[in-house]
Amino acid sequence: MSAEAEADGQSSRIEINGVGKRYGDLQVFKDINLEFREREIVTIVGPSGCGKTTLLRCIDGLLPVNEGEIRIEGDVITQPREGVSMVFQHFGLFPWKTVRQNVGYGLKLAGAPRAEIAEKVPYYVDLVGLKGFEDAYPYQLSGGMQQRCGLARALTMEPSVLLMDEPFAAVDAQTREILQFELLKIWRMRPMTMVFVTHSIEEAVLMGDRVVVLKGRPSSVFEVIDVDLPAPRDRSTLAHPRFTEIREHVWTTLMDEVRAAEYELN
Amino acid sequence: MTTDALTQPADSRSMGSLLSNIFWGTSLRAKVTAGILILLVWQVGVTLFAPSFVATPIGVALAFPGVVTSKVFLIASKGTLLAVFQGLAIALVFGTVVGVAMGRMKVFDRALNFYVSGFYTMPMIALLPLLTIWFGYGGDARLATVIFAAFFSIVINVRDGARSVPPEYLEVCKAYRAKARYVWFDITVFASLPYLIAGFRLAAGRALVAAVIAEFFVSLQDGVGMFVLFNARNFNHDVAVVGVVALVAFGLMFEITMNWTTRRFFPWYRRETKAD
Ligand SMILES: Nc1ncnc2c1ncn2[C@@H]1O[C@H](COP(=O)(O)OP(=O)(O)OP(=O)(O)O)[C@@H](O)[C@H]1O
Ligand SMILES: [Mg+2]
Repeated sequence: MSAEAEADGQSSRIEINGVGKRYGDLQVFKDINLEFREREIVTIVGPSGCGKTTLLRCIDGLLPVNEGEIRIEGDVITQPREGVSMVFQHFGLFPWKTVRQNVGYGLKLAGAPRAEIAEKVPYYVDLVGLKGFEDAYPYQLSGGMQQRCGLARALTMEPSVLLMDEPFAAVDAQTREILQFELLKIWRMRPMTMVFVTHSIEEAVLMGDRVVVLKGRPSSVFEVIDVDLPAPRDRSTLAHPRFTEIREHVWTTLMDEVRAAEYELN
Repeated sequence: MTTDALTQPADSRSMGSLLSNIFWGTSLRAKVTAGILILLVWQVGVTLFAPSFVATPIGVALAFPGVVTSKVFLIASKGTLLAVFQGLAIALVFGTVVGVAMGRMKVFDRALNFYVSGFYTMPMIALLPLLTIWFGYGGDARLATVIFAAFFSIVINVRDGARSVPPEYLEVCKAYRAKARYVWFDITVFASLPYLIAGFRLAAGRALVAAVIAEFFVSLQDGVGMFVLFNARNFNHDVAVVGVVALVAFGLMFEITMNWTTRRFFPWYRRETKAD
């Protein structure tokens, strides 16, 4: 990596400045200030309903913000932008399309020539481990395979920013672990800025260079935790004493909120 | 009154399942027995109490081979089927376009919904005198009637389908910056396919009725409707009933073709609807 690229790596790709979002009378979050650097993996955790999905949708330009602004590479985001891909929690696969067609659909919508689609799709299908299932329909795939299909569709766009909304929430523990390390491997091959929303604290600490904790009602950034774990992250990271330490820290931070919510209910 | 209204659906459902058990259950023997019994009552009843020209099962069966190979009947079948298929094809294409437009754009919906619903409920037979004046006493009037009968049930169903496209699909479209033509004619059409198929089935039934009625009204020689009418008036009732049986067969053929088509070309279709 050249010195210039190194320096570039420190520049910020996404800036979130004083952002707030309301649905009618409901203020979901307010005064969010965050910066995501180039080729950085940031994970976002927070209690259910605190607005993680909403924030991701705002970053992708699917929803307008009510206060503040979101910039990607300096441009204010008002609508979905080239170079930014989103992996949906609901997979977002079209049941009438095969794996091949689903994976290539993003490129097709972007007006990519047939030859380019024919070249890239098999590569990413293979990369996410769906080789041999090119002609299967989503109903013939397991949850984890559907998720990988959605991931492949986002990756074929070769984005510089990848937004992922609880991408592994619908898969079993083993598949989830496999997918986590596969994703990290893919990221090492093609580093990009990754914003990763998850319910799992383990996953947040394992995957993230930094962990953002959202809290409060309306929520805002409660803490940003630097995860100073050695790279590359793999299974051995899970046994690292520092991993346990950070995980406990995030857990305690979040737990306060959960308890508070319980008291509110009682 | 209110309790009646509440209990009725449950009752009719159990009644329906009872009936379907009798007719479609494993009791093939019961089905065949019932069929034979009906034919027997028909045969005996007519022989004993009705004039000799009234159709009997045996008469129909004897007339059947001769009729279905006769030139007159084949020309009549071709005329009816062609009109129904042409009309359905035209109604399918334009009905889908209008339905998608209404489902996806509020302006179209507000402008057209009232009229589409109105025309849908209107009996097309009432329009026949006008259609014959506009299109002449010929095949064109029949085709127009068929299109008219089929078009609105397709529009109404596709519209409902287009309005109920899952928001996740639309979110994906937006995220990938899909152009309107993809959203309309790929995502919307395929997402509404169950509705489209339901509408098309309905349309096919209506189209066949429309074709036969138009043939009656216009006295079209190349139509099964006219074939039935002509033979009925000439007291060839056995032959007329063969025509009626042919119409039933057309309807069944359509159902079978539809089932085969969805299975062959939309393998995901049944799985998807079942999962819901
Ligand atoms: N389209 C909408 N209209 C109105 N309110 C909404 C809408 N979408 C989300 N909300 C509300 O906004 C809040 C945040 O929702 P969001 O889906 O962003 O939460 P989340 O943090 O992703 O939750 P989870 O972890 O359960 O996925 C919730 O209280 C939700 O009820
Ligand atoms: Mg969410």
